[in-house]
Amino acid sequence: MRIASGGATDIGRMRANNEDCFRIVAPMSLFVLSDGMGGEAHGEIASALAVETVVKHCVEAQNNPAAPVFGGTQPGWSDKTKRLSSAVYLANRKIFESSEEHPEQKGMGATLTAAWIDGPRLSIAHVGDSRAYLLRSGGLQQLTSDHSLVAEQVRQGILTAAQAENSDMQSVLLRALGSQQQVEVDADEHMLFPHDIVLLCSDGLTRMVTEPEIAGTLQVETNPEQAATRLIALANDAGGTDNITVLVIRLDTESKGWFSWLRRGRKHANRNGSAGGN
Amino acid sequence: MAKLSLMFENKLVKEVPVGGRPVGIGRSPDNDLPVDNLAVSNYHARVYFEGGRLVVEDLASLNGTFVNDLRVERATLHDGDSIHIGKHHIKVDATGDAPVPWDTGRKASAPRIDETMVLDTKARREMVQQAAAMGERTQFASGRFKVATLIVLGGSAAQKEYLLTNKLTTIGKSSMATVRMKGWFKPAMAAQINQRDDGYYLGPGDKVPSVNGTPIPGPVRLNDGDVIEVAGMRLSFIYRD
Repeated sequence: MRIASGGATDIGRMRANNEDCFRIVAPMSLFVLSDGMGGEAHGEIASALAVETVVKHCVEAQNNPAAPVFGGTQPGWSDKTKRLSSAVYLANRKIFESSEEHPEQKGMGATLTAAWIDGPRLSIAHVGDSRAYLLRSGGLQQLTSDHSLVAEQVRQGILTAAQAENSDMQSVLLRALGSQQQVEVDADEHMLFPHDIVLLCSDGLTRMVTEPEIAGTLQVETNPEQAATRLIALANDAGGTDNITVLVIRLDTESKGWFSWLRRGRKHANRNGSAGGN
Repeated sequence: MAKLSLMFENKLVKEVPVGGRPVGIGRSPDNDLPVDNLAVSNYHARVYFEGGRLVVEDLASLNGTFVNDLRVERATLHDGDSIHIGKHHIKVDATGDAPVPWDTGRKASAPRIDETMVLDTKARREMVQQAAAMGERTQFASGRFKVATLIVLGGSAAQKEYLLTNKLTTIGKSSMATVRMKGWFKPAMAAQINQRDDGYYLGPGDKVPSVNGTPIPGPVRLNDGDVIEVAGMRLSFIYRD
């Protein structure tokens, strides 16, 4: 499948610094996003360290598939899913160790959500409340479960989804990178279909913009980077109370169908012609 | 508000307004403006507002989309333009204001604890328990998250039952689908079920499924005992003890 991706990050309207961080490693189809927390500039250190560790671990594993795998994995997972889960586990340890070494960094932490695409298979690993979504056939499917107090209360039937959205406890996380020596990483894999769109985002987007608005923007704006920029603008219009980071990944067919040569030929002819406004 | 009028041999077939969301045009009946002609692709083109301008975009259709007889991939529309798709044409009425981006009324609320914080294991257990007790008192507690089962009532699938343990369950003929349909002319990805914090949501794929006889154009939350029908298959959605 052909992959087009783009991302953007923004400080928002209320915060003094941007503690979000993201990285796109296009040749590997690897996408990583992190939202840091902690006083002073320590949230930024945590999220940057998380992203760097995950990317480095995955790149190294490309060259050396026998590199050790950290944390718990499930036997049914693909190598990439295991590797991604391992990378997130390692990122937790790096942040924890850094804050042990530097007392001023105590309490720093980060969320992390990563996606790795291998052919039609999407691997997802995450800790925290930054989400991964899949837009397919016009509907937004949530691929991650937030590790937050309110989400846990909804899962236990204590709160409804609407009550959770209005709760003043939304920022309370049950799991994050860096708070303990070990962490349980959620990982999963999904099959992708042509025209699927994968979205990774920090809570600065999902608390400000409704899912139908997100779905609509992703359908209308076909350039991934512009789609990310527009979603950020929507979040800022709605108040922008937190940093906002958005990563958009679009999948398309390689056009190997029976008539694709015909279609391609026609499209090509069309591009050379005068048609097509905008 | 702008509107599109589908014409065939100078007779009006259908008229649709262009609001905040894109108007889908194609042969498939789930389009906002279905065009029943073999020369038209299933999802042929769409029309929507972008930055206050009305735009038509061809969705890689086989036979193309033409605006005032010029083939386009994407073009700005003006009042009085004519879009040709197959043997039909669509008159564009672009008078009226561009709509505001659509809104379903559900607005995410602003967080009240400003800084994110993590609870350690002990504090977290206490807090969840405290909240659980509070929840029981106010009668919101309905137990832990339950895993649902899909039972095949009619139509041909690889298994008779499916336990919905995944975040995403796909129903279709594709070899990658969870619930694999058998038989000719079945859609690759007919419908999908998303497991969320508050339950399971059924959404359309290549087809619009129905729940208890009612077609659902967008995701809906499934309830115990619901009957799902899609592409000739009948499934029962149940929570088992």
